[in-house]
Amino acid sequence: MIAEAGRWFLNFAFLFSVCSMGLYAFASVRNNKKVERISNWFWGFKGVFVLGASIALIYLIMTHQFQYYYVWNYTSLDLETKYLFSAFYGGQEGSFMLWIFFAFFVGLGLIVWTRKPYRAPVMFVMAMTQFFLLSMIIGWDFGFTKIGASPFRTIAQEMPNAPFLQANPDFVPQDGTGLNDLLKSPWMMIHPPIIFVGFSMMTVPFAFAIASLWTKTYHEWIRPALPWTLAANLSLLTAIFLGGYWAYETLSFGGYWAWDPVENASLVPWLIGTAGIHAMIIQRKSRRAHKASLFFAILAYVSIIYQTFLTRSGVLADQSVHSFVDLGLYNQLLAFILAVTIMGIGFYLYRYKELPTPDKESKFLSREFMTFTGAMLLFILGLVIILGTSSPILGKLFVDNPTPPEIQFYNNWSMPIAIIMALATVVGQYLFWERHSWESLAGELITPLLITSTVSVVSIVLGNVTSIYYMIYIFAGWFTVIGNGTVLVRLLRKNPKLVGGTITHIGFGLLLLGIIASSVYTVPMLDPQTTNYNTRIEQGEVFDDEGFPITQKVEMFELKVNQPKLVNEKYMVTYEGYELTNSPRPGQQNYRLRFEPIDGGEVFYMSPEVYPMLTSSGPNGVDWSVDPHVRTGMVKDIYLYVAGSKYVEQRNEEFERNAQNESMMPVGNQDEEQTEEQEDSQIIELSRGETKSVGPFAFTFRNFVPASEEALPENTQIGIRSLIHIEHESSGRAFEAEPLFAVYTEDDRSYTYSPPIEIKEWDMNVLFSKVRPESDSIELTVYGLDENFEEDWVLVVAEQKPFVSVVWLGTFMLMAGFSISIFRHWAREKNTAEKN
Amino acid sequence: MKPKLIIGIVSIIVFTSLLMYNFGNSISTYVNFEEAEARTSSHVVGTWDSTGEYGFSRDTMQFSFHMKDRAGNVRKVIYPRPKPNNFEQATQLVVIGEMRNNVFYANEMLMKCPSKYNDSPDFEKASTIES
Repeated sequence: MIAEAGRWFLNFAFLFSVCSMGLYAFASVRNNKKVERISNWFWGFKGVFVLGASIALIYLIMTHQFQYYYVWNYTSLDLETKYLFSAFYGGQEGSFMLWIFFAFFVGLGLIVWTRKPYRAPVMFVMAMTQFFLLSMIIGWDFGFTKIGASPFRTIAQEMPNAPFLQANPDFVPQDGTGLNDLLKSPWMMIHPPIIFVGFSMMTVPFAFAIASLWTKTYHEWIRPALPWTLAANLSLLTAIFLGGYWAYETLSFGGYWAWDPVENASLVPWLIGTAGIHAMIIQRKSRRAHKASLFFAILAYVSIIYQTFLTRSGVLADQSVHSFVDLGLYNQLLAFILAVTIMGIGFYLYRYKELPTPDKESKFLSREFMTFTGAMLLFILGLVIILGTSSPILGKLFVDNPTPPEIQFYNNWSMPIAIIMALATVVGQYLFWERHSWESLAGELITPLLITSTVSVVSIVLGNVTSIYYMIYIFAGWFTVIGNGTVLVRLLRKNPKLVGGTITHIGFGLLLLGIIASSVYTVPMLDPQTTNYNTRIEQGEVFDDEGFPITQKVEMFELKVNQPKLVNEKYMVTYEGYELTNSPRPGQQNYRLRFEPIDGGEVFYMSPEVYPMLTSSGPNGVDWSVDPHVRTGMVKDIYLYVAGSKYVEQRNEEFERNAQNESMMPVGNQDEEQTEEQEDSQIIELSRGETKSVGPFAFTFRNFVPASEEALPENTQIGIRSLIHIEHESSGRAFEAEPLFAVYTEDDRSYTYSPPIEIKEWDMNVLFSKVRPESDSIELTVYGLDENFEEDWVLVVAEQKPFVSVVWLGTFMLMAGFSISIFRHWAREKNTAEKN
Repeated sequence: MKPKLIIGIVSIIVFTSLLMYNFGNSISTYVNFEEAEARTSSHVVGTWDSTGEYGFSRDTMQFSFHMKDRAGNVRKVIYPRPKPNNFEQATQLVVIGEMRNNVFYANEMLMKCPSKYNDSPDFEKASTIES
């Protein structure tokens, strides 16, 4: 019922988007105000329908209607409400809906704020993109072909051939498969909405560019388009940051960036959008670079659709850890990208001859030239990354079945480009605010250069940098920070409203410095034994069973409970045990590691977690997942996770045993287990003060202790406790226990009473089973005493990452700079709008 | 033609060819275990062969398992890190490394996991409940 309504809402939304597209086109061609007003109504109703469909989907999710594929596939009964809500956009269909929804709001904003003559053509482009996006989720099945995949399809529609559905077409699963545990993170809840806000806003410069080509007014469009582009870029940057932060905090690959195709796909639109911002700024200031700003505005949106195509069509399936499911939308996505490209680039080329050209070339030492260089460098970097990411397609030029490029490909190209960019930002910023000749510029730059050189030398020495290439890079990074910093100080005195761009450039410089420090100078944290082993591997002295030299270094170490190890000659690290918290995830263990700096610094604790992945664990095995602990510091982060532990190993062995038992299907299975348990017990006789070793443990009987009456059964004749000291000899861990022994009478018969005392950590039960007053000795019965008992241990992977904080700081400064610029350009645009 | 234009065109050509040359060198092709024997570094795609022994050894600090490539060859793979999350659930593995003496030494391992992006339904758990 609700789903039916949702389906109709989507159908109507789709039809209305077609209508509004047609009407806006008509209004643009005929310049008809009345039609434009009607199409605005269509736009509004379409939004209402999309809202209706979204509410319907959220309702289905919240009420756990698992007969719908989307609900079944992305949620489960035990999911918290906030994650149920975010499951709405957890899958492909829902995320398209969210995108459409945000784009609708952007459209509303455009209707309200856009000036003539752009409104109708801009809205036409907006409606066209909505038409394509909606076509992805309407789910029309014509028999010979399908259009879109509806979020409201049932599991029966999804899998018509499943045997259980053929037997019972009304089958409703009891529970859903649930959301991947890794995604149950607040960062991942807000990441997708922010991305789609960015995508939606990036449609605006594209729409304005088309409108400008349409109306042949090539200059004015950037005024309204610039704040939108800045806002789109801010959103994308925030989303990239959130994605990187999430990857760093929750995944075990140990970094914030891995040049993964999906990550690249989000970076490229940002780079091209930033290139566009540079071009638009030149155009606004100096009435040139019209061609470039149109080109980049178009290309930024094309790259968004291209990345959507790459991640959602299944092209990247082999290459990315996290590409989306192939929903069979390949052709539709291809149509979308072709339509956007042909419309944008085609129209651009068609009008190319008419586009304004500057009368004379700009000089090398001019803000136009420098800003334009910045735009071009950003664009080139974007192209390099697109090329790498497109390897499944473009790689076919070289080999069949191409693999993704090595990481080195990205690093080798982005580093020199970044260095040139860095230098250009400083020169560009100086020229942006003042005219300069070579001499005057050189004069201005002397002080920043001197400071930069000093700081660079200091960081090179302190950081032990040996590569000349890195030295240049570090110099460029510092130069960006210090050069732009000088400009910032001057601007703050003159007009603080103008600092947006300068702050962004300082952020960029910090980012460069943070990236090199945190990626190249990350060191594994190891104990001396492993370090020695690695040195021997380096020298080729370690061989495997077959006599081949081992080349792979070991980057983890083992810790036994309460046995400290010296790590990196800096910290005494002690594993103090774990706790089964079951919270927030069932079966979760929190490990506790104590770090004591040997030079007398402050002691701190790291608490990494391990938990079973519920969505993928079955009765035959647990799929463990780790949650690293990152200790954030100004100078360095310590990143640590537990790669294995005794607890996890034991649980796995249990599951293995269970699986075997099940498969053998024993008849007398239960008896067997009972006998096994009985065999497990050991009897130890101890006289007072005596110590006996059994297996790895030493038992000492210290003394008798009187028993208090509450613990004793009724009619007790004798009641006594013994003070026992149990020590695990190799680790020195010890417990004291006072087991009780009592004799009581019931119905004239005597019984003994000796309740077991459990020592949880060793999985051991101790009973005081007999007392021999004549020899002043006692008899203990111990269950669960394992001859091969081994102390608790963990395997630790830890890394020290210098200056990750600077990466975040740089990112925040970029965000702050963009925000300041948005306000400035927005205020200016409003002023002009009011004057007109 | 203007000299600036010529310089521009030449530099674009130089840049593009350098980029493409470098790109061509940095990608390689997916191979199977037999082909990997003749290469120094290879990408092999396959699935985990759960019939063989597997697990992490605390003595050698290595994770080893058997993998079946797309051509059906099964080889032992050694990975110098702990067993990755979701290993058992991965529907596809890509190992990057070197083949030596019939053992594949992986420096990197990528897994394609079901989970969120999953579209291979598995209804076994909830089988007979009707509503």
